[in-house]
Amino acid sequence: MKPSSFNYHAPASVNDVTALLAEHGDDAKVLAGGQSLVPMLSLRLAAFEHLIDLNKVEGLAGITRSNGTLRVGAVVRQAVAEHSADVATSVPMLAKALPHIGHFQIRNRGTVGGSIAHADPASELPAVALALDATIEAAGPGGTRQIAAADFFVSTWQTALDEGEILTAVEFPVWGPGSGFAVEELTRRHGDFALVGAAAGVQLSGGKVTKAALGLFGLGPTPLRAAEAEAALLAGADAAEVGRVAASGLNPLDDIHASGAYRKQVAAVIVRRAVQAAMQEAGA
Amino acid sequence: MNTRLTAGRYVGQAVKRIEDPRLLAGRGRYVDDVQLPNMLHVAFVRSNVARGNIVSIDTSEAKALPGVHAVYTGDDLNPRVQQFWHTMIGPPIEMGGQTHYAPLKPLAQGDVRFVGDPIAIIIADNRYIAEDAADLVQVEIDPLPAVVGILNGARDDALVHKEKPSNISDTMPIPEVPEVEALFATAPHVFTRRFHQARATNVPMEPRGIVVHYDRYAGDMQIWAATQSVSEWRSSAARLTGLGENRVRVIANDVGGGFGQKMMVTRDEAAVIMAGHLFGEAPIKWTEDRRENLMTANQAREEIFDVTMAVTDDGTLMGAKVFFWEDIGSYPAGAGAGAGLAGGVFPGPYKFPVVLPGGSAVFTNTVGKAAYRGPWMGETVAREQMMDHVAYELGIDPIEIRRKNVIKAEDLPYTTCTTMVYESVTPSETMEQALEMLDVDAFRAMQAEARKEGRLLGMGLAVYIEPSAIAFGILSSDQAIMRMDNTGKVIVAMSTGNHGHSLETTIPQVVAEHLGCDINDVVLVQGDTDSSPMGPGTGGSRSAVIAGGAAQTASLRLKDKILQIAAHMLEASPEDLEVNNSVVSVKGTPAKALPFAMIAPIAYQMPEMLPPGMEMGLEVTARYQPPGPFTWSNAAHVCTVEIDAETGHTKILRYIVSEDCGRMINPMVVEGQIAGGVVQGIGGVLFEHLVYDDEGNPLTTTFLDYLLPTAPEVPDIEIGHIETLSPTLGGYKGMGEGGAIVAPPAVANAIHDALRHLGVHPTDFPLGPSQVLALMNEAAQA
Amino acid sequence: MSDEVIVKLNVNGRDHKVMVEARKLLSDVLRDDLHLTGTHVGCEHGACGACTVIVDGAAVRACLLFAVQLEGSQIVTVEGVTPGDGTLNPFQQAMQDCHGLQCGFCTPGFVVSMTNYLDNNPNPTDDDLKIALSGNLCRCTGYRGIINAARTVAGLPVPANAADGSDH
Ligand SMILES: Cc1cc2nc3c(=O)[nH]c(=O)nc-3n(C[C@H](O)[C@H](O)[C@H](O)COP(=O)(O)OP(=O)(O)OC[C@H]3O[C@@H](n4cnc5c(N)ncnc54)[C@H](O)[C@@H]3O)c2cc1C
Ligand code: FES
Ligand code: FES
Repeated sequence: MKPSSFNYHAPASVNDVTALLAEHGDDAKVLAGGQSLVPMLSLRLAAFEHLIDLNKVEGLAGITRSNGTLRVGAVVRQAVAEHSADVATSVPMLAKALPHIGHFQIRNRGTVGGSIAHADPASELPAVALALDATIEAAGPGGTRQIAAADFFVSTWQTALDEGEILTAVEFPVWGPGSGFAVEELTRRHGDFALVGAAAGVQLSGGKVTKAALGLFGLGPTPLRAAEAEAALLAGADAAEVGRVAASGLNPLDDIHASGAYRKQVAAVIVRRAVQAAMQEAGA
Repeated sequence: MNTRLTAGRYVGQAVKRIEDPRLLAGRGRYVDDVQLPNMLHVAFVRSNVARGNIVSIDTSEAKALPGVHAVYTGDDLNPRVQQFWHTMIGPPIEMGGQTHYAPLKPLAQGDVRFVGDPIAIIIADNRYIAEDAADLVQVEIDPLPAVVGILNGARDDALVHKEKPSNISDTMPIPEVPEVEALFATAPHVFTRRFHQARATNVPMEPRGIVVHYDRYAGDMQIWAATQSVSEWRSSAARLTGLGENRVRVIANDVGGGFGQKMMVTRDEAAVIMAGHLFGEAPIKWTEDRRENLMTANQAREEIFDVTMAVTDDGTLMGAKVFFWEDIGSYPAGAGAGAGLAGGVFPGPYKFPVVLPGGSAVFTNTVGKAAYRGPWMGETVAREQMMDHVAYELGIDPIEIRRKNVIKAEDLPYTTCTTMVYESVTPSETMEQALEMLDVDAFRAMQAEARKEGRLLGMGLAVYIEPSAIAFGILSSDQAIMRMDNTGKVIVAMSTGNHGHSLETTIPQVVAEHLGCDINDVVLVQGDTDSSPMGPGTGGSRSAVIAGGAAQTASLRLKDKILQIAAHMLEASPEDLEVNNSVVSVKGTPAKALPFAMIAPIAYQMPEMLPPGMEMGLEVTARYQPPGPFTWSNAAHVCTVEIDAETGHTKILRYIVSEDCGRMINPMVVEGQIAGGVVQGIGGVLFEHLVYDDEGNPLTTTFLDYLLPTAPEVPDIEIGHIETLSPTLGGYKGMGEGGAIVAPPAVANAIHDALRHLGVHPTDFPLGPSQVLALMNEAAQA
Repeated sequence: MSDEVIVKLNVNGRDHKVMVEARKLLSDVLRDDLHLTGTHVGCEHGACGACTVIVDGAAVRACLLFAVQLEGSQIVTVEGVTPGDGTLNPFQQAMQDCHGLQCGFCTPGFVVSMTNYLDNNPNPTDDDLKIALSGNLCRCTGYRGIINAARTVAGLPVPANAADGSDH
């Protein structure tokens, strides 16, 4: 289990990265935390002639709060975000999702941007980005553009990034007072990818749900937004009903860890638990 | 709570391990740590189909890659093999033995028989280049339908080994005994169940590995290996290559776990030995990677048990028939079949009037079977689950049905219906101790309360008797070669190995206790055929009993000689002397004393001061063979669980063990062995499952798919001890495998108890959340 | 094949210069080139934790890093968290006292991880500890002695039932 050979590049600027990508096309791959990419290289499930390390690129490592959003740079380590007071206060759903990723040694190296760009359907962060309507900032040869999370996750491990583009930051909207969030998942063991997972956010006003966000993971080819269930929540349905609605449209596949039927059945439970916990935090 | 024997100065004490500081500091010496001048590295080309004919192998591109020194295929290596068989099993039928081996060749030739089957071996400057070269070898295989699944294999629609008439390697039908048939025909109750274990694998944290250095001018071979038995490896390497055993040296320094996987030389290792022998230039190293380990190292536990039990109305056992189906894969280590022993020990802790066992071992196009911590353990898995199924059928508490049938002190010595003789076992006592540790009434009350809220709690009990220290054939004995040096310190060489068994501490404990010296003055040398005696190595829960017995005997022999010398010098009789802290003194006259440090140089340097006629030196050997073929230990395990009614997820609440392993040399080490075994057993029920699809593709070749338990999944394991002496020299009983043997049924029975009121009666492993919820759904719809 | 590159590494406070291919994993460079064989390789896909080292103060998997990435970083291995004078650090000592190791293969990974974790989290709860241990696999001990060692260092109660080692 040793990777095939490659040429290593450690550019210092986003422009250098995009120039290298333009030069080498699909012979090149960007390397962030390496927590997903390096195992694939070592297992020789993937091989590239050029690896472009993002870790020394200027300007990708900050967390900044500005009017209504929290901007998390692409190579912010998951552990840094997990322990960031800004993240905890501004985007509690993200803060709650992060400790579910693997183990602390993985989060010490893995990046927020890497997890979202990797777009594993069983990963927590893509579901959080989707649920919260985050905006993905992409840089390419022609400059930067903003991609709505709803448009970003195309299929399993496939995103809307063009071949010459990288993810440079993710902007998460900051919710106002009266909100509550929860991330619930069922794993075989602590730290495993979820068999079934849900990230829920609610905002209450006068005892009524005025804003709802529900992202699902491990339940389809991409992270999923449970829009009908959100609508039910806004219409005053109880958590159990929201769970049933969320599960009803799902069609998860079998794998060695659980059958699709199992995932679908348990999705209703996990969504219910997530909604209950979010409601409770919101003060319901 | 505990029934403990009085501890000695060392034996019976929780002495901290001597080997720990180096291992904790990262200074262990494992096989992959061996770095030799000019050493080259090995990678394999392996089959990616389970069954098929090899159409062509083109190695030219690989050979041309810079940094590649050799590429060998089966055509190169297989014809050079002199003999390939294992001492413990004996030679194959063709060579006058009794064993049906799979047709063993290091590399595949002509056809492939499982995914991972080694086809070619690369020798290169480093592993990176070796893997590059492996990718360049072009292998064309014409795939054929694979034989997957025990019962499919038994149909013989297609053959795994075309040299064999059938996929059934070994079979032993249940004997037809008219009296027993009559008994079953007239018994008040006869119940039948089919239990299925899930394929699991040993997964030592250190994968396999071997360094082979054959120098064709020197004519000798040096091997460093991750093995449990250097003697066996030397014999195997000599047989493979035709070198004299005295031309082969095998060294195993620290070994990162084995659990049975590192006992015998497998085809991969044989290929490296043959490649090293043919190459003859430089040392070559193969370090198995984890994907190889999960795909091509041996597996175990893919087994089906058909159990029929006859009982009276009150649950008294009348008899049982049990048939063991074993999937032995393509190339099992040895013959692979464990049913013989499993059938013999099936009665376990209960008074069965009759048990009729049978079994079939079936080849399939999957990786071969090997011993895994309790290779016969299916008997306990089947029996202990069956006891609960029968109890529930009769409406009796599983505890009560065991109390009714368990062997008690007044029954001893007891000969089972399968002719096993128990002299000193305590199944009833350990069971009662474990139940008391739980407080059954309190648990039942808690369970009832929880059930009112819809929560599912359950408790499982399992009892067993372990055939430890198996002593026949090559396994019968172990030797200690003991030397006191000029300064009064002791080196003892043994055939054991260090793969976690703490012998570097426990053997010095035994020696220091019996010789009367300080433990820091004793060093165990093991794992090197040049210095250690012949012996089967460490495995099969044997070392405390048999190696311990040899060490004890050697210590007493050495002490005897020391006393004779001291008596001569002190002008006393040996009977009037005593030894304390490495000093011999006259009883009652402590001033008349001689330390070992003064006696030892005399033995080596001053013959004139020795008793007349005494041979110089302080060197003794002792070989110990225990009195019987088995030394029986026993234990009872109790597990409580809570199952999430909505997700099927099982959480273990408490795990309790009561163990009788005779006199404990080191209770801390005993508890470590128990805890490790229990967690492997828990893994086999709740997490671990080595999965093949219908085409014979392995689906669990990483640690993200093959799930080992981790710290948050395991409970605090509570352990009680009962110490009753075994008939062996030190009164020890082996216990290394027991935890892994009883934990599976204890956990399964707890899950059964939590769910039975819902009509769920599990029989198959694994019992992960998906399986448990499926059973609950099924029962709800029924 | 790509060319070898010169990589400067600071390991356990010492500067090293090695010539390796860019694809060479940090775990392999530590073991083969610097002969620091305490860093063990148990899976090479980030799942077992045996290769854990500390990079710039944070415990990470050495099998998921290329040595070439680490110029300018401070790397500490199991050899570096060991005092070096023949004594053991507090977690190592607790591991011996609580019988937290058998074959010892997983041990350096646990030692590095928990030394780093307990340095950064001196007051964990019992659950925190078990979760912190979840990234390291051990096949021998059933984690019993390891959890108890971590509890000992964190000042948390250890179940009375466990037989602890004594000095002799
Ligand atoms: C044992 C283990 C357990 C894990 N458990 C979980 C878990 O429970 N949940 C979970 O979500 N993850 C888990 N992970 C994966 C981990 O979260 C990874 O960190 C994450 O998936 C990828 O982030 P990275 O920074 O390591 O990216 P890398 O591995 O470096 O890259 C991953 C992919 O994303 C691309 N990429 C990375 N950054 C960018 C960018 N800025 N722009 C464009 N493309 C980019 C890379 O080219 C590559 O294709 C686990 C990993 C391990 C080893
Ligand atoms: S070897 Fe790096 S995590 Fe297993
Ligand atoms: S001590 Fe052997 S793997 Fe942990």
